[in-house]
Amino acid sequence: MTKLHLGHNILDHQLLDKDGRRCGNVDDLAVEDAEVVAILSGPGYWPQRSGRIGRLAGWIGGSRRVRIPWDEVAKIDSAVHLRRTAPEYGLGKGDDRVRPLLERIPGADR
Amino acid sequence: MLVKPKMFLNLALGILAAIGGFVDIGDLVFNTAAGATFGYQLMWVIPIGVLGIIVYSEMSGRVAAASGKAVFDAVRERTGFTAGLSALIASEVVNLLTLAAEIGGVAIALQLLSGLPYRVLLVLGVIGLALVLWVVKLEWMERIFGYGGLCMLVFAVAAVKLGPDWAQAGKGFIPHIAQNNPWLYMYFAIGLLGAAMTPYEVYFYSSGGVEARWTPKDVGLNRANAIVGYSLGGLLSLALMIVGAAVFLRHGINPEHLGTIALGAEQPLGGVGLLLAIVGILFAVGGASIDTVFSGAYNLAQFLGWEWGRYRNPAGAPRFALTWLVLLVFALAIVMTGVDPVMLTEYAVIFSAVALPLTYIPILLVANDPDYMGSNKNGPVANTLGLVYLVVILVIAVAAIPLMLITNVGQN
Repeated sequence: MTKLHLGHNILDHQLLDKDGRRCGNVDDLAVEDAEVVAILSGPGYWPQRSGRIGRLAGWIGGSRRVRIPWDEVAKIDSAVHLRRTAPEYGLGKGDDRVRPLLERIPGADR
Repeated sequence: MLVKPKMFLNLALGILAAIGGFVDIGDLVFNTAAGATFGYQLMWVIPIGVLGIIVYSEMSGRVAAASGKAVFDAVRERTGFTAGLSALIASEVVNLLTLAAEIGGVAIALQLLSGLPYRVLLVLGVIGLALVLWVVKLEWMERIFGYGGLCMLVFAVAAVKLGPDWAQAGKGFIPHIAQNNPWLYMYFAIGLLGAAMTPYEVYFYSSGGVEARWTPKDVGLNRANAIVGYSLGGLLSLALMIVGAAVFLRHGINPEHLGTIALGAEQPLGGVGLLLAIVGILFAVGGASIDTVFSGAYNLAQFLGWEWGRYRNPAGAPRFALTWLVLLVFALAIVMTGVDPVMLTEYAVIFSAVALPLTYIPILLVANDPDYMGSNKNGPVANTLGLVYLVVILVIAVAAIPLMLITNVGQN
């Protein structure tokens, strides 16, 4: 299987960091010379994925863009496993930002 | 093979919870109203709907067990970003309508028990649900509401005690179209199918499988749960229709209020029957509120790749927890306007019938993918039934809105 073919098979798949944390999806792929060089993740890539509805979703979701070099992919099964933790790539920031708010409510860590 | 008592116990407990959890406000409204309007003539639709939900729940549960993927992971991967996003928006709208209707149902049941004002009980009910969602583990939520919902079995006792015309009821299992008012008849048929095959049940079921960390070893458990649980749940739907026919049609009453439905159990069984019916309805719609609000949060989180699940505490899946909190507030805002929950239910069921293909087609595709499913991919039985039901679902989806307009939402 060529790298490009493989790349198309992982489009829209779940990203998992090295601890198994769900930290986004493969929103798009960076392709150079018919080869996938990076995974692109974040609402900033939605407008280029689809027309009006993607632009609307991107407008709501914000402009965050994360580029993960292909070498960071450790394993591919039904999800894409990355070699490092989510914050090292700048992934999962939304969850990290909401967490302190919820932790103020008693029982959030039960 | 050695039968392990603990495994059998777990299966039995799961099935009991499934029976109690099958009926929601959509089933309550459509089954009783269909009985009250057409007597036993629509009985044949119920087994068709029940088999449909069994087929697709089993499939989605098997996908969850084999690949660790819940429905909206599959939707996005198989249909792509644009179509997946459209499916997400449609499912969120339908889910919110359904949630609002179920919450309205909770408040009505509480009102029948306490006599306090409806809007006060809406707020108290939502606060109560939020507390349960915040502190109780998913497994226990399912048990509490599932077992409480077993009080609904009072309708089965009522159906037998009413001494219905069994020959007439039996004839209702032969598919036919009523001569008087065929449009309304078809509207009810579609509503019954939509209520039995509501998409949120499949979202919740498959995400629950992932939450319970099902592995390929659990494929058998999944099958048993889906087949036995939903079949027995379907018996409750039949009982509701019989009560509708034997009590309301006979007396020319149109059960437009949830409280009227509960009276269907009072007539043959007295005060105890009424109390059990109200408590059963409370747990059934309360449990369905939990299923729908979690489904909304599951779908969004799965589509966007967020951390999700109740097996984590709220801080472990922050945006997931925030989403269900926000959905509860939105749903509360809808019912606080004073919109009639029964009316809302009819809209929710009809619109969910339109959204059915968006959910079921990706499940069928993924369940056939050997890369994901390995030896657990669909066999000939699952595929034949899956395709037959796909046709049924497409017909329903196309016919639902025209029938709703022709019949003025079942009013004529």
